[in-house]
Amino acid sequence: MKISEPLATTIKKTVCPFCSYGCEFGVIFYDFGIKGIEYIKEGSSEGRLCPRGSAAALYLDNPRRLSMPVKNGKPVDWAKIEKELKKVIEKPKSVAVTFDRNITIEEYQSIISFCRKTGIDNIASSYCEPEAFLNPFMEKSFSIDEIDSAQMIVVLGDPFNQVPMLSKALINWKLKDRRNRLVVIDTIGTHTAAFASDFLRCRVGTEPFVLFGLADERIEDVNIREIAGIPESIIRDVSKGLKEAKNGFILATLSFGHTYDTLLMIEGLRKLQQFSGKGVVPFVEFAGFEGNQHFGSVLRSAKKKMIKYLINFGELFPYYYPQLLKGLKALNIYATSPIKFNGYTTLPIALNLEKQGSIITTFGKKTLDGAIKPASGAKTISEILTLMKQISEKGQSLRAPDTKINIRERIGKLAEKISTQRKKKTFTLLGEKIAYNFLGFFENETVKMNPLDAGNLGIKAHDTVSIKSKHGSASLGAKLTTDVGEGIVAIAAETPDTRGLFDFEIDGDIINFIPTEVELWRKE
Amino acid sequence: MAKRIVLDLDLCCGCRSCEAACKAAFKGEARIRHGDIVGEAYLPLACKHCKEPLCAAACPVDAITQDEETGLVTRSASLCIGCQSCAFACPFGVIDAPLVRHISQKCSLCSDREDGPRCVAACSSGALQFLSDEEIQKHEIGMRMVSKDLFLRRKA
Repeated sequence: MKISEPLATTIKKTVCPFCSYGCEFGVIFYDFGIKGIEYIKEGSSEGRLCPRGSAAALYLDNPRRLSMPVKNGKPVDWAKIEKELKKVIEKPKSVAVTFDRNITIEEYQSIISFCRKTGIDNIASSYCEPEAFLNPFMEKSFSIDEIDSAQMIVVLGDPFNQVPMLSKALINWKLKDRRNRLVVIDTIGTHTAAFASDFLRCRVGTEPFVLFGLADERIEDVNIREIAGIPESIIRDVSKGLKEAKNGFILATLSFGHTYDTLLMIEGLRKLQQFSGKGVVPFVEFAGFEGNQHFGSVLRSAKKKMIKYLINFGELFPYYYPQLLKGLKALNIYATSPIKFNGYTTLPIALNLEKQGSIITTFGKKTLDGAIKPASGAKTISEILTLMKQISEKGQSLRAPDTKINIRERIGKLAEKISTQRKKKTFTLLGEKIAYNFLGFFENETVKMNPLDAGNLGIKAHDTVSIKSKHGSASLGAKLTTDVGEGIVAIAAETPDTRGLFDFEIDGDIINFIPTEVELWRKE
Repeated sequence: MAKRIVLDLDLCCGCRSCEAACKAAFKGEARIRHGDIVGEAYLPLACKHCKEPLCAAACPVDAITQDEETGLVTRSASLCIGCQSCAFACPFGVIDAPLVRHISQKCSLCSDREDGPRCVAACSSGALQFLSDEEIQKHEIGMRMVSKDLFLRRKA
């Protein structure tokens, strides 16, 4: 019997596109496909990789990856889709083009160029995550050495779970000198909060109040510190510390379904930046792009039947926001996606890992070298655009209209909302960003709840609980922890089932996914 | 013992990158576990490759053996019958019950990889390290019952 030679393996270096840290790693290929990933000791993360990066090989080689377009649940060939799309763009006024995550700078520019050439004027980002509003802060690139020279760092959110790669520098910085001060602002107890010198644990939705308080902003008739539930003395002390620190910065991460007013939060960050003279450093899952309008106007146009078709480029929409589909049901949706979803026409798309181009990271632009070939049947965005019309990549960037906000009015409204007592027997559902739960690759999500609430409902750890909101329901395992206060439950919101629970408000034309009232009970 | 995985408690941020790296490499079956100290920490629990491994002693088919030279305790996939005796015998709870393939999941320190265990390579905060006995003694890593920074005692 002849024994075959061992399979030849090759390692192709790439940049992780799953958050703005931009870690470098290798994908190991052998004759029959992808074997796994390799940790390459160079680049910004020194070979370390968070769960999102480790999931890359599973994502690239996922058995659910699409190899053909799917329409009404059945595969169709690209030629038919090409014909359909060419017909769709003949009436550009009835078309909206949107884009979410997993696009390169060049692809974004191609989309804008395509819209200009075809006369499509409804262009918006469908990435409705609050972190998209941190984009203006991404203009200045950040160096990890800035952590080392800082005396004080104020953190909004939970970077240890959202951007685990930051943890090494942050922990070493804090352990190096006990005078180094890490201040964490959040509604729930997190791993980052456990390391903090000061944990400003505020009431649900009151993070903007804490930021305004730290920036020494005073609003008549509203005691913003009292509403946030943090003593005046602590706010003053942190505020003074940040202003007087020789070096320092404000590190911002924002989660889905975690706050009521994203724009007020961004304004709070701006005020704190101005007051303290310290920069805001955002860490996001995807540094997004803008269209000429916000997604709320697309929803409005769909409702008024001014548009008939929606073409979405990226990988998440409308999969990520099932609650928005109701408002879009009159539309024919063509959405690119790496995996199959029912209910609209899905076009197999290459992942960023399989493209050539550049992406924005917190540390500046990084290049994807296209070393990994796109999965069978998948096309890049540029290829799909070219199917419809010959275009150049040299498009311009667009900016959605700025929304002017009246801070005083918004603070008043938010204060009123927070002081309104929740209904008996309901809980406030919050979203968290946890890298280990990334798209449900490694573990099913759990719901965190306070042991006292669980006791009242006869729920024990690991019991299955049902959660129901006005938009949907889900069943999850219970995790009992005092990290969440009474009346609050938190989930990672990484799958459509759990994301679909969240309520949303249309603020101007901005979609705001907010903490949501839910009913919860033990599933028999 | 050549080298083993040790945890520097001061540095662990609870992100579970170690577990993800292990799961991604071994078809969704993590061979590193975590201790969930509810409300306070997730602590990675790696196989200690004990000097006198109870998992090997409990195995009815001698599927678990110890390499005399390196101290590495390995499980043979072809001999394992999935009886879970090793999982019950392990005093550290680091052997998983049979999952997809109905054989126990036992850490082999990624013996298929030249640069050592993947969990250590992936560790985002540098808390997991792959060190020899001499290096462990020198750095006093993994020797304390409680972290010097009192991470375990601190409430968030």
